[in-house]
Amino acid sequence: MNKPPYLMTARGIVKSYGPTSVLKGFDLSVAAGEVHAFLGGNGAGKSTFIKIISGQIDRDSGSLEFAPNSASSSAADASDENTIAVVNQELALLPHLTVAENIALPRSRRGYGLFNASEARRIAVDALSLIDPTFAQASVDRLVADLSLHERQLVEIARALDSGASLLLLDEPTANLTAGETERLFTVIRRLTVDKGLAVLFVSHRMREIRQIADVCTIIRNGQTTIDRVALTSITDAEIVEQMGQAALGPAAEPRAQRRPRTSGDGIDAGKPNDLRVQTDGIDLEIASGTILGLAGPPDGPEALMDALIGVSRAGKWSIARNGTAVSYRRPSTAARDGVGFVSGDRANKGILANLPIVDNLAASARIVGRKRAVRREEVAQGSDLLDALSIRAGSLWDLPATLSGGTQQKLLIARWLRLKPTVLVLEEPTRGVDIRTKQEIYALIREMAAQGAIIVWWSTEYLELVELCDTVLAFDPDGHPTSVLRGDSISEAGLAHATGMAA
Amino acid sequence: MKTITQPVGEASRRRSSIRLLSLYRTEIAIAIAIIVMELAVGAIVPAALSVGNVANVAQAAAPLVIMAFGVLLVVITGGIDLSVGSVFSLTGMVTGLAMAHGFSALASSAAGLSIGVLIGAINGALVTYVGLAPFVVTLSTYAIAGSLSFIVTDGHSLPISDPNFWLLDAGTLIPGVPNYVLWCAVLLIVIEFGLRKLVAGRWLYAIGSSSSSARVIGIPVNRVRMTAYLLSGLLASFSGLVSVSYIGNAEATAGSSLMLQAIAAVVIGGASLFGGTGSAFGALLGALMITIIQNGANLIGVNSFWQGTVTGVVILIAVLIDRITKARR
Repeated sequence: MNKPPYLMTARGIVKSYGPTSVLKGFDLSVAAGEVHAFLGGNGAGKSTFIKIISGQIDRDSGSLEFAPNSASSSAADASDENTIAVVNQELALLPHLTVAENIALPRSRRGYGLFNASEARRIAVDALSLIDPTFAQASVDRLVADLSLHERQLVEIARALDSGASLLLLDEPTANLTAGETERLFTVIRRLTVDKGLAVLFVSHRMREIRQIADVCTIIRNGQTTIDRVALTSITDAEIVEQMGQAALGPAAEPRAQRRPRTSGDGIDAGKPNDLRVQTDGIDLEIASGTILGLAGPPDGPEALMDALIGVSRAGKWSIARNGTAVSYRRPSTAARDGVGFVSGDRANKGILANLPIVDNLAASARIVGRKRAVRREEVAQGSDLLDALSIRAGSLWDLPATLSGGTQQKLLIARWLRLKPTVLVLEEPTRGVDIRTKQEIYALIREMAAQGAIIVWWSTEYLELVELCDTVLAFDPDGHPTSVLRGDSISEAGLAHATGMAA
Repeated sequence: MKTITQPVGEASRRRSSIRLLSLYRTEIAIAIAIIVMELAVGAIVPAALSVGNVANVAQAAAPLVIMAFGVLLVVITGGIDLSVGSVFSLTGMVTGLAMAHGFSALASSAAGLSIGVLIGAINGALVTYVGLAPFVVTLSTYAIAGSLSFIVTDGHSLPISDPNFWLLDAGTLIPGVPNYVLWCAVLLIVIEFGLRKLVAGRWLYAIGSSSSSARVIGIPVNRVRMTAYLLSGLLASFSGLVSVSYIGNAEATAGSSLMLQAIAAVVIGGASLFGGTGSAFGALLGALMITIIQNGANLIGVNSFWQGTVTGVVILIAVLIDRITKARR
């Protein structure tokens, strides 16, 4: 009997959601022991395909074969045999249970067996230690509900690694990880692929990382395969971008000089001063209108500053002053009405109103800022304009946000603030899980808002972004303390890595 | 790679007992509250602390405790079972009816219990396989079963003819331990053990925490939910039997007030109506607290019309204290 060359083979997969056809006959195959990058533009069908392979949704037609039991063409069967483990963009954790239980529980297949708590703890510590040993020891008994998004991603990845699956599906696994953790994750993946023949299929938009870890790539475009199993050594970034159908917007090479903030002209309020000053021990930073300030480092430090700026928590150790007067926002609505906008990459928890249609999502902030009492007809027209302005293709304003892909939802969140012309715009990992073309669109949007006088505060764990966009960067160390301020040419990946203490 | 050394012996045991204490934080707080309340009542009416009265309280609490255990299982999964009160009554009526027609106590009891299983199955099937909201489903079965309790005997109450039947409640299978205590103790141990130590117990919490994530992980969500509703029906039925055995009479209205009390008991004990938390120990303490409040109010001579207010206020205070102590963590 011929041993099938591939661990998993998908052929001619078709999937539609009502009138919208997402996958139109897609092929993909993964071999044991390989790291396979899965690339494609916004809404091209990647997450849908991953859900089909992992058995979470059904395909309309097409075949799916899994070795070693190639007769089993049911994805759910293969999952049952522990052959596949998946880490989705929307994490699937159990908030009321501890980290240990979340990692170890999937191993128990029979309900009437005993659940050994101390064994679960040991399993969890071992699995988490592969990526972050200190976190492992400290957090194994903590409830997942108490963890940050970043910590939850670690737990979910540890669970997948521990599952003993022979095929790992990762959808943007490094989206919430620091450089150091990403490095350790890749080390683990390399080891598992070599030692155990683990196959990894992962979706990512970070070309750097893809080249670091992947052997081959497959590109999906408009629901079909355009590039099938091409070695990464024999394809250039430009070719990949082109094959994805992204317009040829390479990383914008706007020279720094052009990013000087505009001080006059058609700004937000021509002539009205707009500056921000943040102070804490050791740091006294004054930011002029039109500046893009980057925040670099693991979440704790940047989050404390951002939460203070948007009114989610008290200023704590930060002193914030706007236009010379100290401010301390007691609640988010106060900050919003004072012109502070906020967009987060944690769309599900900090942005998208899942049960309300797109039109309400777009009008949400305007309603707060304007203290609107009634829903008005203009909001529909305005919503339409916003969708056009950002080239968002949605079925209808009355669809739910879930019908949009992750990247499009992100644009939605930015659109919410577009008309309100905030004087300060705080961004928390705004391109998390967003493809290259949409990323460029978002960069252009933000640059435009800065050019009109807004102050942008941008936290990202992707150093490349900060290097490309920021005039000034405030770096934080892993304990949350601000370490230094970088400006101009000293903003480089190496410089950031050094300042944040995270190995690049 | 680092090897993780496990602490052994004394240090390990101490760590486990600290963990246990913090795990049962809410329950300990409620237990303390109960003791304090009982002492306060005893200060006003010394007879409250007599063995006779304590036995009274325990016997009155037993049906509520058993029903609360069933409701607990459903609440942990994030659902609710409003039909338990009617299952309670209907079980009593069916059992009484069977006995009136000459069936043995055992056969009649089996008939009664089958009511619980049947209604539990209907609830479970409609919630899991048809996907209807638990509130709506169990409210409907509550109404239907409630009216059936009246129809079964045309509104009359039924005396229990078999003198041995009362042994279900007050007899002593184990010498010295009244049966009503026995049932509560056995169920407490079995259910708490199941919730803490069995994989299926973890599954209940998992489903209540996030049923979508539970499904992704591979937990058989439908099967587990169905079982929870079945058990809730069965336990409500059993509690009806115990109560009928105690009273000696089956009445159609017997269970109506118990439903809210059972839910209150479970929530006082630490469960959340959103699912994901709760314990059998807590449910038992919650049921005890409610019973003690009523007993205390009776003994002190509180006007019966005020008892609802007393019960409600004390429950609110208990829940608030629990919330405050949790927030301060």
